[in-house]
Amino acid sequence: MDCVEIVTPSRASLRIANHHSTAASPLLQQPRIRASTPTRSPQALPKYGRRGVSPSKKARLALDDATQLESNETPQDGTEPVFGGTTHLRSSVSSRRKGKATWRPLASDEALPRILPSELEPCLELQKRAILKSLQNLPDIDENDEHVSANATAYGQLNDLLKGTVLRGEGNSCLLIGPRGSGKTRLVEKAIASLPERPIVIHLSGHAQHNDRLAIREIAWQLAQQTGHSFLPSEGDNAVEETPPDPENPFLDEPEPNIVLPPPAHLLALISVIPTLPRPTIIALDAFDLFAAHPRQSLLYCLLDTVQSCRVGTGTKGIAVIGITTRVDTINLLEKRVKSRFSGRMLRTACPGRLHHWTELARAALSASISQDVPEEWPPLWKAAVDSFLHDATVMENFKETFSLTRDVQTLRRILTTVATNLTAASPYPSAVKLAASTGIQRCPPRFSFLASLPYPAICLCIAAVHYQTAGHDAFTFEMLHESFRDQVRTSQSAPIQIEGGGIGMAFERLIALRVFTPVAASSSSTTREFVLYRLVLDRNEVKRAVGVMGQTNLKKWFSKA
Amino acid sequence: MDSTTTDMTPVGYEACTSLLTTLLTSYPPPFMFVYDPETPRLTSSVVRTLVQDLKTRSKTAGSPLKFASAVVNAVACFTRRLFYDTVLNALAEWRPSWEDGCGNWSGSGSMSGQRFNENFDAFVHGLQAIRTLLEHGSDDLTTKTSAKGKGKAKATSNNENETHRLIIVIERAERLKDSLPDLLVPLTRLAELSQLDVITIFVSDVRWADMRPSLGASPDPYYIDIPALSKQNTIEIMTTAFDTMASCSSSSKLVDAEAYSPVLRSLYDQFITTLYSICSPFVHDVYELMYIAAARWPGFILPVLEAHRAYIEELDRLRADGRSHEFDSDHRATEVSAHSDDEMRDHDIAGILYLPTEDTRIRLVRLFTPSFTSALEGLYPRLTHAADWAREHIPPANLLTLPYTQIPAHMSGALGAQTTGGAHRRDIHAFPRTSQFILVAAFLASTNSPKSDMRMFGRGTDERAKRRRRKGGSPRKAREGTGGGGIKIPQRLLGPTPFPVDRLLAILGVLLEEYDAETRPQVPQFAIPGEYTDMEIARVSIHAAIMELASMRLLIRVSSADRVDATPTFKCGISYDIALQLAREIGIVLNDLLWDSV
Ligand SMILES: Nc1ncnc2c1ncn2[C@@H]1O[C@H](COP(=O)(O)OP(=O)(O)OP(=O)(O)O)[C@@H](O)[C@H]1O
Ligand SMILES: [Mg+2]
Repeated sequence: MDCVEIVTPSRASLRIANHHSTAASPLLQQPRIRASTPTRSPQALPKYGRRGVSPSKKARLALDDATQLESNETPQDGTEPVFGGTTHLRSSVSSRRKGKATWRPLASDEALPRILPSELEPCLELQKRAILKSLQNLPDIDENDEHVSANATAYGQLNDLLKGTVLRGEGNSCLLIGPRGSGKTRLVEKAIASLPERPIVIHLSGHAQHNDRLAIREIAWQLAQQTGHSFLPSEGDNAVEETPPDPENPFLDEPEPNIVLPPPAHLLALISVIPTLPRPTIIALDAFDLFAAHPRQSLLYCLLDTVQSCRVGTGTKGIAVIGITTRVDTINLLEKRVKSRFSGRMLRTACPGRLHHWTELARAALSASISQDVPEEWPPLWKAAVDSFLHDATVMENFKETFSLTRDVQTLRRILTTVATNLTAASPYPSAVKLAASTGIQRCPPRFSFLASLPYPAICLCIAAVHYQTAGHDAFTFEMLHESFRDQVRTSQSAPIQIEGGGIGMAFERLIALRVFTPVAASSSSTTREFVLYRLVLDRNEVKRAVGVMGQTNLKKWFSKA
Repeated sequence: MDSTTTDMTPVGYEACTSLLTTLLTSYPPPFMFVYDPETPRLTSSVVRTLVQDLKTRSKTAGSPLKFASAVVNAVACFTRRLFYDTVLNALAEWRPSWEDGCGNWSGSGSMSGQRFNENFDAFVHGLQAIRTLLEHGSDDLTTKTSAKGKGKAKATSNNENETHRLIIVIERAERLKDSLPDLLVPLTRLAELSQLDVITIFVSDVRWADMRPSLGASPDPYYIDIPALSKQNTIEIMTTAFDTMASCSSSSKLVDAEAYSPVLRSLYDQFITTLYSICSPFVHDVYELMYIAAARWPGFILPVLEAHRAYIEELDRLRADGRSHEFDSDHRATEVSAHSDDEMRDHDIAGILYLPTEDTRIRLVRLFTPSFTSALEGLYPRLTHAADWAREHIPPANLLTLPYTQIPAHMSGALGAQTTGGAHRRDIHAFPRTSQFILVAAFLASTNSPKSDMRMFGRGTDERAKRRRRKGGSPRKAREGTGGGGIKIPQRLLGPTPFPVDRLLAILGVLLEEYDAETRPQVPQFAIPGEYTDMEIARVSIHAAIMELASMRLLIRVSSADRVDATPTFKCGISYDIALQLAREIGIVLNDLLWDSV
């Protein structure tokens, strides 16, 4: 696979020059005739930068474009399906200026060219990159209706709070609560980045720092990175660390000595240093609820205690502790002595509350502007494409469906990423079909997409399992399935192909590996493999559909016996 | 076999590779999940190649985006340290060498000597150190001495606008859930936690939904689903393997040097098509099919090569006699060949191998077709390995000239199944008679419910034994999750139930009394019926035999071995088939003694 070649505008204009040279060729004298023949199939276009296209081929492509232009111009050709078709594109070869724009900017009532002219293909690639870029960091959508979005409120509050810490040396603490993917982490990053002064920022996460000892070491490390001094706890702590792992078995991780908490003195010593640092400090604790699960909550206690005792005007710098969590009851997890030191301030984020917000996000991402120079006809062309995409009823229906399932912006991002990567020169615009396809993969991918292509013995086992299910036995052993498989082979004339032992056992193990069969109970050493009880995860209809797709009559017959 | 795919993308993967390339070279989602339920190994190798390729290409071309990559296998990296070290070594392109004590990568320049494998934080620091290393690059070595220890030194103007992207690919990622559960969440949030441009890609044949940590602790990945390989693509991948095999077969002792000679390619295509049509209903994995093909092809082509060699010998002999020309004209008809004559003559005279005729090819395929099935049965479950199998299934000499009736049995594929079953049977027959009795008794004890014992084995005049069987089975079974209603599943399918050793001895007593008493020598001091048997089952040797069988896992001990006070309980470890054979051996009709007989 070749790397995507970004053709710069200069290159594009080169190609246009090339086009001009061929435009004079006698071949062009008969565009009307060619126009009646079907245009080349979309697949005929190469997808990416065409470094290797020979001049003659380039010329032909350019000619094709010209042909299409002509065909669009002729009024009697209006039957040709045009994307979002309202009217025909009024443009002609003669309107092209020297080496420059070949398309007039589109007026609002003009339609999109169904196939992208080759000189605009580099623009499409640039546009794809721009979309992917903006998807990675979605712009904020300010809802200009009566109510301000939760995130904007939270942002304002957090900003005020951090400013107090940074500018006035306050000690602040707050909790940022919101569902998954509602932009909590993003909000904190943004608030920190917008501060007028650069504070010391310490990021901790309950997912990474599983206990207070790790958290303390990480705090010390990050402080050292940002201030240039070493804050590592004294050697005593390190000594524990350096014990060599079990020489008998080099693969055994030594049990994490998480019982050995750093002595409270260490904790206090390090954390009480923080206000005396030359710059204010912000400590962001992601997955805050997990920190509350640490024994004695000593870290939280020390941090919040330091925050509380931080007084304005005592010559110390400010400190802010931001807890980030999805659990709404986090405050109840705190011990009393910790809770009493917490300010009780809670900010809330939320996922977009209206469909409108979602589609605006989609629009913002899709119509991201390209940073490089592009031919002037591209932006309006693209805008028209995005507009007609977002005005399509099926598209809106699809968005609505997704939105009612999950308001998670990340899902939207994933869906749009796939839409963007599927834009090709042959079908250059986002469409309802593309959206539906990518929603199918990204929203909630089908769990057992492979059923219809399962090997023969495996589908037999599934059918046998369904039979047992219908007979009231949800759990089955390998022997049970094997027995009914053998029975089936024996009794039916239209017997499935006879297989000896090996294949069917492998099929059973494969189904376990694919999680189609799940064990009913935890495995025990006293049960031999063929008698472990399993359950079928599929439901009857899924198997039925798969058998239907496979289309083997003997399987269908067997299945319908249930 | 991975070598088959190193140089090019196999057919059927174009969409996936172009998607991955587009994303990785622009603005990729930080966490991606490649899902392929059918051919995960092939997919892994495609991803591996792609990432490697990106890396080397970004190094040579002057692109501003540079890659460092690590492809690790979650099966191999089954502990945290292994994982951290493997990833960091790969990213830093560090190879532990024996001479310097196989040290892992531990930072560069003034920052060296750190341990990055202690915990996740250290790992993240390692990643950051690698980024620093990459940014400063090799051309920075000169300035490094002047810059003071801290990584503050600004990059030289040359690589100022370069960005460095780390890619971590984890194959068989479903294993992480069991082996490194507490690493799963941090890995999926690696970019956020390390504040680096690092992309995590999981490759697995299990859906993310099946390994997702609880409470949505990980963000959902960007899904990339690999479509199943079509028939044509599978066949194409298999046939292109021919060329790579050709290059490496010369070193193998098992494979004839000429077996992969290019002239045979079209015969190989035919071979693969047939093999595919026979094996594909059972296996779709292209690697498994290629394994079977690799085991069968050397034997398949052997008759052709033999015929060819015999012909060359003949030719040499005749040449020596100076009569080569006559030979050419009259021997032709009977030989394997009937090609267009001119070309053939050249080949014949030069002694070059050529493609056999259509007839020969069809005959070959027909002769070998049955052995494809037996190859599938032996090799797919790995009852044997390819080299052994190939050795066992070398076709007889002059196969092509043998009349049909003399084709040996193993060519018809019947043998494979027999050998596997046969070995087992022989072992069973080698047991002492007492052990055979014990095993049958254990099977009965595990299969019949204790309630039925009185009825099945109760002897004498006691009428209680004839009590009617209670309806609906025992209440215990209903609890076992097998569902209450519906048809009753025979116990031998549900698996053995545990029994105390006393019950085993009691059943053993009945069996011995009924089927063994006559064969014993007469002992006058045991007058009362059954007394002799009672003595027999109390012997130490019986207990020793039970323990021996338990150690062989033919009896499975259920109660813990440490307890002295409780009676030990066992389960039967042999299958119904073997129990049936054993019973026949010692003259018992097993089905008569089973509560729900077959
Ligand atoms: N209101 C929003 N506007 C624009 N983008 C958003 C919004 N909310 C979330 N996003 C997008 O979702 C992504 C995920 O957000 P973020 O990681 O901050 O969520 P989170 O609340 O921290 O999730 P988690 O609880 O899983 O940590 C962000 O990168 C951002 O692009
Ligand atoms: Mg977050």
